[in-house]
Amino acid sequence: MDAKHDVLVIGAGCAGMRAAIEAHDAGADVAIVSKLHPTRSHSGAAEGGINAALGNAAEDSPETHAFDTVKGSDYLGDQDSIEIFTREAPGDIYQLEQWGCVFSRGEDGRLAQRPFGAAGSPRTVYAADITGHVLIQVLYEQLVKRDIQVYEEFFAWQLVVHEDRCQGVIAWDLLHGGLTAVGGKTVVLATGGVGRLYRATTNAYACTGDGMSMALRAGLPLKDIEFMQFHPTTMYPSGILITEGCRGEGGILRNSEGERFMERYAPTAKDLASRDVVSRSEQTEIDEGRGVNGSVLLDLTHLGAERILTRLPGSRELAMVYAGVDPIQEPIPVRPGAHYHMGGVETDTDGLTELTGLYAAGEVACVSVHGANRLGGNSLMETITFGRRAGRAAAEWALANTTVEVPESATRDAERELSELLGRSKGERPWKIRDELGQTMLENFGVFRREEQMQAQIGIIESLRERYPTVVVEDKGDVFNSDLTQAIELGYLLDVAACMLQAGIARKESRGAHSRPHDYPTRDDENFMKHSITRWVDGAPELSYKDVRFTKYLPEERKY
Amino acid sequence: MQVGLKIWRYDAKTGDKALREYEFDAPEEATLLDCLDIVKDRHDGSLAYRKSCRMMICGSCGMRMNGAAVLACKVRMYDIANAGQVPVISAMGNLPVIKDLVVDMDPFWAKFKAMKPYLQPGYDQPEDGREHVISQERMNVIHKESLCINCGCCVSECNSWDADPEFLGPQALAKGMRFVGDPRDAAKVERLDAYSGQHGIWECTRCYFCNERCPKGVDPRDAIAKLGAEAMKEGIDNDMGAKHANWFVTSAKTTGWLRETELVPKTQGVVSSIKEMKFAMGLVKHGKVPPPFPPHVAEGVKESRALYDLVKEQGRDGALGIVQGERALSRLEHTHGDGHASRDQADVTPGEEPTRRGGE
Repeated sequence: MDAKHDVLVIGAGCAGMRAAIEAHDAGADVAIVSKLHPTRSHSGAAEGGINAALGNAAEDSPETHAFDTVKGSDYLGDQDSIEIFTREAPGDIYQLEQWGCVFSRGEDGRLAQRPFGAAGSPRTVYAADITGHVLIQVLYEQLVKRDIQVYEEFFAWQLVVHEDRCQGVIAWDLLHGGLTAVGGKTVVLATGGVGRLYRATTNAYACTGDGMSMALRAGLPLKDIEFMQFHPTTMYPSGILITEGCRGEGGILRNSEGERFMERYAPTAKDLASRDVVSRSEQTEIDEGRGVNGSVLLDLTHLGAERILTRLPGSRELAMVYAGVDPIQEPIPVRPGAHYHMGGVETDTDGLTELTGLYAAGEVACVSVHGANRLGGNSLMETITFGRRAGRAAAEWALANTTVEVPESATRDAERELSELLGRSKGERPWKIRDELGQTMLENFGVFRREEQMQAQIGIIESLRERYPTVVVEDKGDVFNSDLTQAIELGYLLDVAACMLQAGIARKESRGAHSRPHDYPTRDDENFMKHSITRWVDGAPELSYKDVRFTKYLPEERKY
Repeated sequence: MQVGLKIWRYDAKTGDKALREYEFDAPEEATLLDCLDIVKDRHDGSLAYRKSCRMMICGSCGMRMNGAAVLACKVRMYDIANAGQVPVISAMGNLPVIKDLVVDMDPFWAKFKAMKPYLQPGYDQPEDGREHVISQERMNVIHKESLCINCGCCVSECNSWDADPEFLGPQALAKGMRFVGDPRDAAKVERLDAYSGQHGIWECTRCYFCNERCPKGVDPRDAIAKLGAEAMKEGIDNDMGAKHANWFVTSAKTTGWLRETELVPKTQGVVSSIKEMKFAMGLVKHGKVPPPFPPHVAEGVKESRALYDLVKEQGRDGALGIVQGERALSRLEHTHGDGHASRDQADVTPGEEPTRRGGE
């Protein structure tokens, strides 16, 4: 073992940093292992905002927030988690503000709150269109203030499970090479999502499901992993996000015939209907041959140059750089892209997984506040509230227990696996498998899920998994060997993909982001108001189910 | 489209350095970062560079293209490739290269941490436990500084850092202004004092390369100017740079012109100035020094004094008085004879052809 700490946090986005700060303040010696410098984390790309019932813009309450969240989740969210979440969110926001977070202000000098999709009150706190960025900055500032150690650019590879406890992680030092075994009395996974499974995604290159896969390999289950949210306006072909604000300002979605097709699908809300509705409508247009290059068109031209330049300058810049289109002159090609994973490593409301010593928070986790569909603004809040709770619980357990041990054999096994991977000189380059996986996931397990396509995709993933053990890492060096880490990431992606398909094909209903209009078009509460639980057993995913935890919100039809 | 890139490859272990040329096919929408990915995937897996968000927010992919710092994900290759150009890609400047396009960011973060980059709230916490109540207008003071993504492009291009690697540098100082300008921070004076030291605010040479190269519009040079103005407003003016600036003001206020003869002693002090006597005598001999007595007072000195008073009166003697570059005129407020105030329109709007005045 090269180093040890009370609490070891893996990942340095909003959830990871918030957990580390809390564990430090609880008196624990805490360190973070992150493959990126903390401020590079993908939480920073979040634009819209963070939800808490402060009641600054209109009357609001944690109960209303909870109701909206339960309903948004299509009644798959665990209601005890949701009630804790909405009750504790306001305090967490005040804390962030007192740390110096640069939020936008209302007329009265209090935190401004804007309306967001499917929310009963304007409760989204924000900082212009860079909310994630200001959160990442303030959390990193607090990390520096506390002098919390960060193993920067250390790539977490394997969880150390010893004597039925998680006791650390084995990581690859990107800058200098070599494996490092870092012990932790408790470990908090905060590695984010796995959007990179899809060719069209808003997610960063770093979002490769590292924590989900490491947990699977350690024998832990993933919960509701079939639920991936698709954002309706991601640019073709890069998947880069164009904010909902464009439609808020009056932008219109059109098909290849120039028709404003949302009038047919959502006559009242039209282009501003909820994310899943718009994504499904777009996909229907594309599937029925009224798309343009596999996309639809987001038309802003009628807004005029002045409005675009003053209200949407960021979106215009993104369109010009990444699609080569000036939205003043031409519409932007957009399509649904993978955006956020509702599922993840199963945890209780303190972030604890079923393995002693292992906690998880943020997108990697499924504490189940989002259920089958996440509301905009709830994910940033989740990272903070449950990051804090996981950090607190991890610190308390660590402080009450004294030993930490990483057996020599764990490092030796990892060394052997590594030299095998690096020693291979003939085989396939990982990018081919990565690109095939991304394209086929989008085609066969995207916005709509058809039985035969899911069957086909299961076969494709199996064959890609067979090819994976032959991948070749060309870079044999120690220094910044991203060729090696990208090959390992591909393995993570393949694990999670297999689980998603297994859980998805078994869910014979349409709920939230899981939509099967062709064979099971409606929600089936009798048979499927339950969480999918997927484990990795003998080289394949194994599925079981768990009940949803209810408090007082009874299921009703989800209509907006 | 066909893309050509020349990439400076570097191996820190052996010290080997080579300019390698790559040619390949890329989709029309490809950015420089996409092109590097193609090279790495299909031509040479050992190419090293940082990346993550690929949408200009994570700050990972700072590097140089044809000698100027860019975010690789922000450079669209279409026009470059179609013009047949083969740009040279190299690691950022001013930071040690680790491998190929990856630099050691430790010196960068060390400066960042030296700023005490966290809010120091003092005792003035909201009594109800909720948020501080502050107007948006007041928070706008630090709007640009809070856009910084720590990519390092400004540091890469900084001439003062090049001359003195201990210079705090544009990024750290912009971060400093983010706290100095924040009404919730109680450590303003201590900060200004600390930032005014030997390698601080006044070491900037005002070359404006940081403003020019910042991919996010932070304008670090403006932030440094604001720090200087705030420091002087707080009476923190011991540094030569501050004294130098102060003399411009005093000189303009008293006689309406810059008394250069006195500038050296006022900036460097008497002792240090004596060492420059030989040079000074040479100037006198060549008639370059006006006789000090009686002091010449400029005809329009009243205007100069009125301007000084106006700045004080409007509270623009600190950061608020810093108006830089092309947007300067749009931010100056003038009071007319009849008492009403107005703002001049900007002479130049970024991206637009400037309208010409006079003569036409």
